Amino acid sequence: MKFGIFYEISVPRPWTREREREVYNNCLEQVRLADELGFEHVWAVEHHFLEEYSHCSAPELFLTACAMITKNIRVGHGIVVCVPQFNHPIKIAERTATLDILSGGRLEVGTGRSATWTELGGFCANPDDTKKSWDEFVRCLPKMWTQESFAYQGEFWSMPERTILPKVYQRPHPPMWVAVTSPGTELDAADRGLGSLGLTFAGFAEQERKIGEYRRRIQLCEPVGAFVNEQVATTNFLFCHEDNKTGMAMGQRLGDTFNYLAAQLISTREVFASRSYQSLGLLPQLRRAATGPDASPEQAEGLCFGDPGRIIKAIKHWESIGVDQINFILNANEVVPQDQVLASLKLFAREVMPVFGKGPAKAALAPAAAAGA
Amino acid sequence: MPLFGQLDLATIAPRLPTLPDLDTRAWVLPGAETMQLLMETSRTAADPLLPKAMHPAVPSYLAFSFLRCPESPVGPFTLATVRLGSRAGAHPRGLVLGAYASTQEAADGLRRGWGIPAQAATVRLRRHHDRISGEVIREGATVLDCALVNPEAISGSDVQLINWVTMANAPLDGTTAPLLIQVDPKYTFHKAERGRPEVRVFDAAAWNAGPLRPTNPIVATIAMVDTDLPRIRFVMDPVKPVYQGTRRIRESRTDE
Repeated sequence: MKFGIFYEISVPRPWTREREREVYNNCLEQVRLADELGFEHVWAVEHHFLEEYSHCSAPELFLTACAMITKNIRVGHGIVVCVPQFNHPIKIAERTATLDILSGGRLEVGTGRSATWTELGGFCANPDDTKKSWDEFVRCLPKMWTQESFAYQGEFWSMPERTILPKVYQRPHPPMWVAVTSPGTELDAADRGLGSLGLTFAGFAEQERKIGEYRRRIQLCEPVGAFVNEQVATTNFLFCHEDNKTGMAMGQRLGDTFNYLAAQLISTREVFASRSYQSLGLLPQLRRAATGPDASPEQAEGLCFGDPGRIIKAIKHWESIGVDQINFILNANEVVPQDQVLASLKLFAREVMPVFGKGPAKAALAPAAAAGA
Repeated sequence: MPLFGQLDLATIAPRLPTLPDLDTRAWVLPGAETMQLLMETSRTAADPLLPKAMHPAVPSYLAFSFLRCPESPVGPFTLATVRLGSRAGAHPRGLVLGAYASTQEAADGLRRGWGIPAQAATVRLRRHHDRISGEVIREGATVLDCALVNPEAISGSDVQLINWVTMANAPLDGTTAPLLIQVDPKYTFHKAERGRPEVRVFDAAAWNAGPLRPTNPIVATIAMVDTDLPRIRFVMDPVKPVYQGTRRIRESRTDE
């Protein structure tokens, strides 16, 4: 089991001049500590216009800052939006390669297509096309990273032959993932040999079913990159406290706040009738979780709130159903004071991580660099 | 926390419909046709129209809706509404700003039953080869002229129709005062189409829509449905956050 931290970068109103800066600085302080404690990944979303919920619209800059203040933790796009109105694929290739170089080969590249009308409408993107453009982008990216020169003629973007620079530091290239929220996307991930970056908080049974399908399907995949990244990551909240009752209460507050903020946004399917968005996606799931009736005991059981013993039990369950990596959301709208976030991380590292064979990171080069690649 | 609406209730209380009680009987509406055009609108203009109990949607949007009912307890009628996309707590809702019904009997029934601020007017939903147009004419003046352009068939399961909220004076605990009333029709889809929304005439004042104007188009849908106007299940205090001010009037729809 690997552990990571996951950032939406949620900023409460009022948005004073210093507020966003303070939240960003809090996040960076957490990342620095997480690196020292042995967490293996820091992921950052790409979201736009999602008031309070996420002010992380330029993750490549945040992740670069993370890379510059850490030694071992891997930095991950969770995810970069593969829709041409949001990001030109050449720019994605260039930015990610640069970040891979600057981080010394510590980059992970999650891909996705956005799930909200708030964002897609804001960029005047057609929801009917996002799955198709994502597919084009993920097939092109590894070639843009690795080929001496590249040319492409597609439905959503094209380019004449050019040399895209710089090239990625890792060999053959950084691991690639796809955000899995809609049912069936785990199969898209498997077919392309991509890691499954789960962004939902579904209960054990639903996750186990998805993981089973993913593992079966990936055996026959045709990878879009140079290797198959068979990994399953899932997202969770973390608040670890010596006193279980205190930990549960604060954790519940964190989860409820996150879900309530998410529920204010407009999921694509809520307003835009399209075959491309067959499910309501993450936000309505969170909405239901926020409002109670669908928050099953099983779901609560899987959340990493409470004392170390309770959290160990939850993680063991996730491990038993095939999850390789859990990425934790540490705060939402700053409802958890920064000193308590840091204390929670330290307690988790001291009491929980050793149970899973983890501990403070040793000073070492990233694997790709160590291999002399 | 998310922003809340800024409506000053005193400015609209005198013109709200009044319900005699909250024991409204359901209307079954088989074989209906419902068209909905969604267009974004300015949030700074929308927030003053939204009760303090509710959150604005991000972004704000308007729903221009037509419901043609060949069968109902008050006979055939067509209803047009303009609703403001919003949130009641975590739930998406369409706050009814204005409404017109094609018969006086329907308008009266909708006002008394659910607090829908309906007035009688000419309300038309017409199908052309390249568009389905909706029109509302009040006292000789067109107050809404809109269309779903270039319809294409889609699955009914792709269409989302969110619940409504109306504002009305209604009796509760011995006092008649403004309440928010949840109207949550159920839908069985038989056929659905999608197209581009187009609004040619929108007289905002005629719809109690203040300075709102439709801006960025989202999508338009039309569907053949069996639907209803159910008994009232939830009411909300218009000035308290809904997680504090919601009252359940009846447990479920099983008594309908």
